[in-house]
Amino acid sequence: MSAAQRLYRLRWVVLPPLTGIGILAMLVGAVVAAPRELVEGDVQRLMYIHIPSAFAMYLAVAVLFAASIMVLWKRDMRWDAAARGAAGVGVLFSGFALATGSLWGKPTWGVYWQWDARLTSTLVLFLILIAYLLARTVSDPDDEQSARYSAVYAIVGSLDVPLIMMSVRWWRTLHPQPIVARLDPQLPGSMGLVLLISTIAILLLTVWLIALRTDTERLGQRLLGLRAAVDRREEA
Amino acid sequence: MSAVLAVLVKDLRLAWRDRAGWLTAAAFAAISVLVYSFAFDLATTDVRPLLPGVLWTTFLFAGVFASGAGFQREAEEGTFDALLLSPVSPTVVFLGKLLSNLIALVVIEFALLIAATILFDEPLLTPELVAIVMLGTAGYVSLTTLLGTLGSGPRTRAVLLPVMALPLLVPMLIAAVRATGDTLGLFGGEAPWVMLLGVFALWSTLTAVILFPLAVER
Amino acid sequence: MDGQLGYLFAGFAVFWAGLFVYLLLLQARIRTLSREVERLEDRLEEAEATGTPPRTGAGR
Repeated sequence: MSAAQRLYRLRWVVLPPLTGIGILAMLVGAVVAAPRELVEGDVQRLMYIHIPSAFAMYLAVAVLFAASIMVLWKRDMRWDAAARGAAGVGVLFSGFALATGSLWGKPTWGVYWQWDARLTSTLVLFLILIAYLLARTVSDPDDEQSARYSAVYAIVGSLDVPLIMMSVRWWRTLHPQPIVARLDPQLPGSMGLVLLISTIAILLLTVWLIALRTDTERLGQRLLGLRAAVDRREEA
Repeated sequence: MSAVLAVLVKDLRLAWRDRAGWLTAAAFAAISVLVYSFAFDLATTDVRPLLPGVLWTTFLFAGVFASGAGFQREAEEGTFDALLLSPVSPTVVFLGKLLSNLIALVVIEFALLIAATILFDEPLLTPELVAIVMLGTAGYVSLTTLLGTLGSGPRTRAVLLPVMALPLLVPMLIAAVRATGDTLGLFGGEAPWVMLLGVFALWSTLTAVILFPLAVER
Repeated sequence: MDGQLGYLFAGFAVFWAGLFVYLLLLQARIRTLSREVERLEDRLEEAEATGTPPRTGAGR
């Protein structure tokens, strides 16, 4: 048994307490410890959810990409369960990133939505993840053909990410909008620390949710296998 | 090479025999250009700045519909599965399909460019614009062909194909609209949009050609 | 400045409520799935006890 497998077996022992501690630290940090931003005021505290959620989305996409390659390579449906788990969690966190971004944008930029480079690429990624889930869930969890096709879509979608970012950046950098607020590049040390803690906490939460979701999908696959077995028995 | 040609000829013959699907896509594209120019004319006096967007959204929708429709008959009759079981390599099957889709789409697009030239009173059949259209089409047709041949059933594919394909094509759409606008002198940008279109075309074709055999392998 | 707190509150609410609902739905799905799995396993065991031989290899 490899070290990675041993670690995976311990996921329910390790992840929940670590995530719990991390989330608590994040809450204390974001609500109490972090200083009030001078220009934007307390709304800026949304950053401690918003930026980690965006990171969580990219983590989920990375897991989806890796698991999809494994689906094509190893032909093991367990990887398909992981891919679907990651895509679902990716939709959740990209939704969070978009929602908190809008709610942060309204008081600071004056609008909920802007065709800003990062917002646009997050939205496109959100749509790709939703399309993946739709394509995958129209067929059974143990349909291997559909798993392979969806894996191809996930791989194309992940590889598309750099192109999407490049295109929206060029588009937006050359034609800046009148109201553009940017995150201050020099975050004060305490803010940076809280942001780091929040990022770790939310990434742990992401890993936990992906593992949970993956196990759920595995359960669904097992159920279909059992149904087939029962049918065979009763036919006999 | 001759195998690609054989599959291409077969696909083109099939496309011709099954022209209802393609004609629907072409008719759809023509009608949407008409409706766009009509609706925008009601809203603004100067329709020209909207032209690149009109052209490319129409091209994309036509391409997505056509790739789905062009494949439907084959999926239903099982000829596609038979072809994959034959000794011809899946890459060749895919290239033939890709080329036949490309040819059919380019025909539709030229017809649209002529229609838009008349409707918008703008000379669109310039060498630069034709090159951009070809490059952009080469970029999206490989992805729509790949996705059009994927999926479990023809019914779900018809619904899902636009949902799956359009987000992937966002970079191509941005680059194509910008590049078209630049050649028409609509917005003065300096970004290398044509290069991005080329990169996208290369990227999508390579990805599709590599992934297609893996997807249909059984 | 004061009106801004509403946005902060809304952002946090979206996050926590979303997470909560997601976990609740996941929990419900896990419960129905494992109940169904258990039911089928019992049925399979029962079938095995009555001694009907499997036609093809035993289920996964």
